[in-house]
Amino acid sequence: MAELNLDGVTKVFGEGSGNEVLAVEDVNIDIDDGEFLVLVGPSGCGKSTTLRMVAGLESISSGEIRLDGRRINEQPPAARDIAMVFQSYALYPHMTVRQNMSFGLEESTDLDDDTIESTVTDAAAKLDITELLDRKPGELSGGQQQRVALGRAIVRDPAVFLMDEPLSNLDAKLRAGMRTELQRLQEDLDVTTVYVTHDQTEAMTMGDRIAVLNDGQLMQVGSPLDLYHRPANQFVAGFIGDPSMNFFSVTHEDGRLVGEGFAYPLSSETERDVGDVEDCVLGVRPEDVTLVGSETDAHDFQVDVDVVEPMGNENNVYLSFPDADPDVSGDGPGTFVATVGGMRQVERESTVVARIPEDAIHVFDAESGAALHNRVLDESVETQPTVN
Amino acid sequence: MSQPTATDDQTGTETGLLAGYTLRRITLYVVLLVMAVFYLVPIETGLMTSFTDPDSYTGQAPFLPPLEPLIPGSGTFSAQPWTNAFDILGQGLVNSLILVVPATVLSGLLGSMAAYGLTNVDWRGQVGIYMLFVAGIFIPYQAVLVPLTQFWYNVVPLRTTFVPVAEVLPFIHAYHWKLVALIVTHVAYGLPICTLLFRAHYKKLSDEMLEAARLDGASISRIYRRIVLPLSIPMFAVVFIYQFTQIWNDLLFALTIVQFGDAAVVTQDLVGLGVSQSGTNFPLRMAGALVAALPTLVVYVFFGDKFARGVAA
Repeated sequence: MAELNLDGVTKVFGEGSGNEVLAVEDVNIDIDDGEFLVLVGPSGCGKSTTLRMVAGLESISSGEIRLDGRRINEQPPAARDIAMVFQSYALYPHMTVRQNMSFGLEESTDLDDDTIESTVTDAAAKLDITELLDRKPGELSGGQQQRVALGRAIVRDPAVFLMDEPLSNLDAKLRAGMRTELQRLQEDLDVTTVYVTHDQTEAMTMGDRIAVLNDGQLMQVGSPLDLYHRPANQFVAGFIGDPSMNFFSVTHEDGRLVGEGFAYPLSSETERDVGDVEDCVLGVRPEDVTLVGSETDAHDFQVDVDVVEPMGNENNVYLSFPDADPDVSGDGPGTFVATVGGMRQVERESTVVARIPEDAIHVFDAESGAALHNRVLDESVETQPTVN
Repeated sequence: MSQPTATDDQTGTETGLLAGYTLRRITLYVVLLVMAVFYLVPIETGLMTSFTDPDSYTGQAPFLPPLEPLIPGSGTFSAQPWTNAFDILGQGLVNSLILVVPATVLSGLLGSMAAYGLTNVDWRGQVGIYMLFVAGIFIPYQAVLVPLTQFWYNVVPLRTTFVPVAEVLPFIHAYHWKLVALIVTHVAYGLPICTLLFRAHYKKLSDEMLEAARLDGASISRIYRRIVLPLSIPMFAVVFIYQFTQIWNDLLFALTIVQFGDAAVVTQDLVGLGVSQSGTNFPLRMAGALVAALPTLVVYVFFGDKFARGVAA
């Protein structure tokens, strides 16, 4: 049980070789005791490197990592009171499950054999792997190996759990099950956890808070809904949510956002947020786009239906503005996605009217990517964006 | 056999195919049989010769079993060459065993440790050290013979330090210093190739697994003992068989370091076995060769399955 602070943590690979790579830049995150923090970002964004610095497997180029207020930069991994679950599970293939789980206790504590044995048995019972204790990892399925890897972390009773994409080697069904189980387990144990994933669904469903990384930089830290509704920048807006947010490159002129084949009038409040920025990006989530009967509002647009993807519970409808450049196919500037109910019939290659309600739009500065205006939220869902 | 012509008749085609199939089979088996005979005849000949009474050995058709007078000219059966060979080579066999067991185990163990240190432990300058190991493989034997003699006879006072030791300890003789020198030489010379073999194996060990062990609190040496060593058993079989054969069969270093005397190893004794003014005693030479080859054979039989697994790994 501990509080973990990352203070200006930076990692430069190949320092002094003239071939330096900045992998992680000035990351500040404060993780509360018992909190489940998810580090998420595309591959190569530095999330695993950050985790490995916390674990002590990578040195820290600058900045400080504190565990319960005490600096751990210089401590070897074994002295940090942490346990890590690896993507490949990293079990010892020549040892039985029991030996795998007791290895850490034998190496890092002075506990006698009986205590170790009972700790391992308890942890195995908690994870429902008691009957596997005398088998070797090679005889176990992926899901079972995953449990053993978790068990190996649990028996150590560490101050912090570190998990590096622990579910990504499992098939989709099993992953969903393990996701809930992991959450329940973390709640039971109430151990501070840092969880790395590239999967935004995992991040949204599991985390108390999410930290989004891109290119080694911390984009935003906040609760899942915070990030979803009040992204600090275009990257976070696009990364969180599936299907992802629609973006239109627009120019801001005369109180309107003019894009490829359409012009979107802004209210005075939105106008005030956008200010005098000219090159903007208009963003709207697919589920906020509605298909209406006829053009009655200034935010209704006549659009063509390109493709309909039925998902059962809903349909993803790919739309494009008729005046947009016809050469640009797919995710060109004039095309966007709307999610409509699964019972609703939408014919492909027909023309419909799409409404993009103004209280659902986000406007970003095209140059910096920073959010200028976020969607209007019902005040009952009050969320405070915490940038950095 | 002529190729069957294609007919509309279904059964005709089938027998035709079958005939072609058996023809290929027969050819294959004939070729295999010829090759087997070709490779086995020398050993069979040696074995038959070794059981022939030297006085009745004529040198004609030596591959025939010694069944005089049943088969004229094939010689009389006798186990005498074998008992003689054991008597004469006894001391050499013991010396070779004293040499080969520690040399093999040491080169394997040290090679494994060096490979672990060079592959799985991160430290500055390891590439340079590794290059030295690789270079070690390419040093020709001939180039080191003279320095080797100088080193063991003139530079290192091993002989003089060994004399008091031999007086105190049982079973240790003063001449054993030569075997110790030979052990060290073989370990040093075998180390690079052993390291290389282990390194190839250790590169395939999962980094995450070793990191997990570090996080579990194991030190570098504990990780070696509890994780890496148990996982390198197949590779040890490969290295042990290879090094055992190499060192057991070596003559060059033995001639250079032991030269002559009580410490002579079996390959040295074999050189002069059964050669005299009156002619060559072929049955004795053959029996001696087989006696000298026996330990390597035993090693292959005992470690063969592990060897196969290690090579496949």
